[in-house]
Amino acid sequence: MSDIKTVWKNQATPEAGMITLSDIRARAAKYQSRIRTRNVVLYVYGLANIAITAWLLSTGRYAAFATPALLMVIAHLFVIWQVWKRAAARDLPGELGGHAALDFHRQELQRQHETMSRAWLWYIAPFIPAFLWEVWIRAQMPTPSVPPYADRMIVSMILLAGLFFWTSVWLWFSRGAARLQLQIKELDHVKAE
Amino acid sequence: MEEQDALYQRAATEFGASLARLARGYETDSEQQRDLLQDMHFALWRSLATFNGQCSLRTWIYRVAHNVAISTRLRRRARRTQLVGLDELVETADNEDIEQISSEHQLLSQLQMLIRRLKPPDDQVMLLYLEDLDATAISEITGLSPGAVATRIHRAKALLARRFRGESS
Repeated sequence: MSDIKTVWKNQATPEAGMITLSDIRARAAKYQSRIRTRNVVLYVYGLANIAITAWLLSTGRYAAFATPALLMVIAHLFVIWQVWKRAAARDLPGELGGHAALDFHRQELQRQHETMSRAWLWYIAPFIPAFLWEVWIRAQMPTPSVPPYADRMIVSMILLAGLFFWTSVWLWFSRGAARLQLQIKELDHVKAE
Repeated sequence: MEEQDALYQRAATEFGASLARLARGYETDSEQQRDLLQDMHFALWRSLATFNGQCSLRTWIYRVAHNVAISTRLRRRARRTQLVGLDELVETADNEDIEQISSEHQLLSQLQMLIRRLKPPDDQVMLLYLEDLDATAISEITGLSPGAVATRIHRAKALLARRFRGESS
């Protein structure tokens, strides 16, 4: 079988000599710039959210929705912070060589699993109070030109659409978490051998 | 920084070819192989700032390389194909329709395809075995117990023997 090993080790690898220290420094700069860009995108999203809400409220047409709108902004900012925190944890750690591959793999799966299984808490729950509050206010403000039963139907549809959307998001995350849990179990099984 | 650079230069000189082979073992597409290889080098350079001899340089380098590959795979979730274990491949090797291998190049590409079908940590064990590392070193890099590594090496040998009977000689 040493023949196969010899063939494997003797394969030409011209690409091996093509990476220089200046390439590495360029890669480091690109890596930092990617992190900066990601942070800028998150800041801009947060600021745009605040600006649009402030503008809508300043027009006076949505004065009744002021409190839930502010709650919605807070929810967005909370989720942005969570995304930033979780994305930062996803960056390659510097001490990669300190972890055996199996432990590193499990740790990464565990981190992803934690993010997905707790998505209802950090991604869904923050939006729900503001959403329900907005629907409740909308239900208290019937549109004069629409018959009451039709108005109630519209409110119900908004409520159902929102619940359907958030349930779908939750199911999507839960399915991902279950898949990761299986992989973690498999690794634990291998580790126990 | 200078010490880190010097250590990296040494690592790249001694293990550059091994890292390139590992990248080929993990990725099919040449563009992705190059990307993975560059990521491995970058991660290695960064990691060497914290290297203080807690294990051998070789173990450190292989750990970094495999961990980068794992991380890339998890991030991209590119492998949609069903991955299998060495034991399953050994069992099915006899029934597979094996193409006639007429050159070393063909042998290598078949071998790489075989490795890419393996699920972790079997693919890691196979790659490290092909790099001629012993069971103790593979155990240190993968985190598997020496017994589990020995079992996998045995299966890897059986698989290679059945799959490439006399092809490389």
